[in-house]
Amino acid sequence: MSHSAVASQDHGTEHSKFELFVQIAMLLAVITGIEIVTVYLPFSHTALVTILMLSSTVKFLFVIFIFMHLRWDKPFCTVLFFIGMVLAGFTMWALLQVFSAQASIPLSSL
Amino acid sequence: MADAITKSGYTAHDEKITARSSLFYRPQAKTGLMSWLTTVDHKRIGFLYGVFALFFFLVGGVEALLIRIQLAVPNNNFLSAQQYNEMFTMHATTMIFLAIMPLSAAFFNFIMPLQIGARDVAFPRLNAFSLWVFLAGAIIVNLGWFLHDGAPNGGWFGYTPLTTRAFSPNHAIDMWVMGLQLLGVASIAASLNFITTIINMRAPGLTMMRLPVFTWMTLITAFLIVLSFPAITIALVELMMDRSFSTNFFEVSNGGMPILWTHLFWVFGHPEVYILILPGMGIISEILPTFSRKPLFGYPIVVFSGACIGFLGFGVWSHHMFTTGMGTVATAAFAMTTMAIAVPTGVKIFNWIGTIWGGHISMRTPMMFALGFIWLFMFGGFSGIMHSAAPADAQQHNSYFVVAHFHYVLIGGSLFALLAGIHYWFPLMFGRKVSEFWGKLSFWVIFIGFNTTFFPMHFLGLNGMPRRTFTYDPNMGWNNSNFIATIGAFILGVGVTIYFAVMVYTYFKGERVKNDPWDGRTLEWSLPNPVPEYNYRVIPVVHARDAFWYEKQHKEEIAAEHAKLEKAESAHGGIHMPFQSIYPFIASLGILIGGVGVATIDSNPDPKVIVGKKLTVCLIGLGIFLYGVYCWALEGNEGYHLHLDGHDSSDTKH
Amino acid sequence: MSSVASGAIDHHHDSTTSTGISNKKLLMWIFLASDCMFFGCLISTHLIYRLHPPVGTPPASSIFSIELTSFSTFILLMSSLMMALAVNAIQKGNLKSMRASLVLTIICGLIFLGCQVFEFSEFVHVKHLTISNSILGTTFFTLTGTHGIHVLIGVIWLTTMLIYSYTGRLSEKDAIDVESMGLYWHFVDIVWIVIFTVVYLLEYI
Repeated sequence: MSHSAVASQDHGTEHSKFELFVQIAMLLAVITGIEIVTVYLPFSHTALVTILMLSSTVKFLFVIFIFMHLRWDKPFCTVLFFIGMVLAGFTMWALLQVFSAQASIPLSSL
Repeated sequence: MADAITKSGYTAHDEKITARSSLFYRPQAKTGLMSWLTTVDHKRIGFLYGVFALFFFLVGGVEALLIRIQLAVPNNNFLSAQQYNEMFTMHATTMIFLAIMPLSAAFFNFIMPLQIGARDVAFPRLNAFSLWVFLAGAIIVNLGWFLHDGAPNGGWFGYTPLTTRAFSPNHAIDMWVMGLQLLGVASIAASLNFITTIINMRAPGLTMMRLPVFTWMTLITAFLIVLSFPAITIALVELMMDRSFSTNFFEVSNGGMPILWTHLFWVFGHPEVYILILPGMGIISEILPTFSRKPLFGYPIVVFSGACIGFLGFGVWSHHMFTTGMGTVATAAFAMTTMAIAVPTGVKIFNWIGTIWGGHISMRTPMMFALGFIWLFMFGGFSGIMHSAAPADAQQHNSYFVVAHFHYVLIGGSLFALLAGIHYWFPLMFGRKVSEFWGKLSFWVIFIGFNTTFFPMHFLGLNGMPRRTFTYDPNMGWNNSNFIATIGAFILGVGVTIYFAVMVYTYFKGERVKNDPWDGRTLEWSLPNPVPEYNYRVIPVVHARDAFWYEKQHKEEIAAEHAKLEKAESAHGGIHMPFQSIYPFIASLGILIGGVGVATIDSNPDPKVIVGKKLTVCLIGLGIFLYGVYCWALEGNEGYHLHLDGHDSSDTKH
Repeated sequence: MSSVASGAIDHHHDSTTSTGISNKKLLMWIFLASDCMFFGCLISTHLIYRLHPPVGTPPASSIFSIELTSFSTFILLMSSLMMALAVNAIQKGNLKSMRASLVLTIICGLIFLGCQVFEFSEFVHVKHLTISNSILGTTFFTLTGTHGIHVLIGVIWLTTMLIYSYTGRLSEKDAIDVESMGLYWHFVDIVWIVIFTVVYLLEYI
């Protein structure tokens, strides 16, 4: 994440980033494949949800840090994006919690 | 200065740019209507924001007076129930989105780049676009007054299912939805610009912890806008889909839940409250040190508590919904966060008191408004903290107690701070000063009128008078308080009239002042007034938190530094200025036409007529918008270089 | 946070700004943070209604086609790769290679949109799920449709940039323009990563 890393990246091996991108894309494709298969496995509901959430978080992080260059950029970009992401995640969580409270569930779907 | 302007390409290859530029209309007018429509100067844009905001402030004020006339006596029929609904909806919408927010935006635009030692914002044309889209939104929201369907009447919160097609069949709500959507676009675009500007365009030496507090609050407000407006955008999209394409988001018979609107609205709505108050807090944090002749007490704490308020502001929205039955856990959690958010607010109050404590106070008009702010905002805060206790809130909910509370924080808080700010920066903006007598008179009339109007509302609320009721029975015990409130409203109206009449007079005929009339502390006061188009002749180097104060204490050192910097800068080719551009205005015009088409025109029911009236208007709007955007992109962000002759100009003294 | 320029000139540093991050990139990152909230609210809406569906809602897995969605997910992923390669190419000053990557990105984007159009028409005409006949249709079409519009805007932007690269409006110096566009395009991809999991896959367990 520092300057020296950037400099060495640019002046060093020309093809390293190209190869890295291709490798990451393959990795993401593999994870997606695993996700699709996982759905049909006879695990418990909670385990499946956890696995899917974790794997999509991993994919998410790979894209933002590698494809979107956050790894090589100033950390400040990461901070900016995470402000939005964390707030959005928090708001989603809170909304789902509020709507799942017993008092909030509409009578028609009980 | 016109003779000093020489054109040259901004970037390296010159001939290519001139060739390309000739394709586009390059407006050069420095005066007249065209100069305003094409301006990219942050000061002119700020001025326009201010003018529009003050116009809508007067409109909203008239609406408020009509409401108070209706409520002056029981069983009044001055307004019909329908008209009353339009009045309170439009009063709130106008005051929040078309008066306070753009007035804050006017200060953001005008003052913030000056405070950070920049020559303009990061994206000048985007800034112009924000202004014109704001105006488009404002026009669409208010269009209903002139149309058959009438003005929006569903409350500024637009609760579903009241605002769904079944209960509001005409176009009034469509206009409200479309107008708010555009105001959201304008605010987000402006805020993206401000954040980039503050983070990236600071003068050398101006570290984040040296930023003036007003700039800090601008930054935090901009973050709040950027992160909270998407929630209402989504809510409005869902409502629009429900109304136009009969979807089921809020349609109970098909499994929709109207409460979802309420949640999404307040996910936006509560940060919005801080969007309204934080700029005011910033202004106060500038005025108090200046007129106490002391640095701000506990600067890092003030900044940190501002950020804290901004962050916590996203976690309290459901306190607007305690009576909806969210369950014990959620209610308790939101009550706790609401109590927590009072802490940083209280910390700020103590810091302001600490600032004036032992200071060399000069009681000028801005200082009067600032002290009024502290007093009234504290009042609003006290009644606010009472709401955070959910059981108490169940009693106060939707009563006039709440009306009293939020007028104390919005008028006593935001508006007093903004009025203080106008007085404070008026000499810098226009080179004239408002007379102390008339300024103080307007303060006292506004202060008395305001308290006479809203203080009795606390009692009205506790006596059970509900909000948004267009009349009441004489035997409820509400007569006297309501009558007093109406008298107060007229006193307040007189005060505001004096205030603005004096402002207009001063703009044309006021006493001229020299630079830095208040003995200011922050960088903007180092500029001559009125501020030249390029702001800083030399981009200053900042050495301390109160940058200009430091400059005044170290005159020789700074003069030597300036001379050096000036030489370096002229060696780099002079001052770069962006070209004016008409395309942001054209793009906004397209948005306005398309928006009017979507919101007010009935679609052609005959399926055989492919090009209906509505579709035609929308497509014309889209076409103009795309034309504007593509020309905007193609003309590029070039500019010219300004070479100032150091000997002849009279406005170069620092 | 000072404006002292560092020695090496690279595409991650802009010495004319206080932070060293170029204005355009900073603007794009803040916009994406804002867009997180945008999609966060939209996805919340969908999830809330999926967790509390009205009585008689058919299981969504009987409507969705996992094969088609997996295919379009893969396509969007590949478009993201192509976009990253395009940015990489122009940062090295290789305009030709960037054009090739951009063309592939656009093609992938169009295939994705085609898949979505096909999926939507299949749902409406075969599965009889419309935007107005059930809450599932309402939230599903609004959410994926909004994402589709983002993809469409991205494709228009990419095409515009591709044309600019031939007219000379876009040259090696303007790597930052391509990079900002790339950030937008990758963001559309990560939104789809989330949608693919929470809208589609979770329906199958």
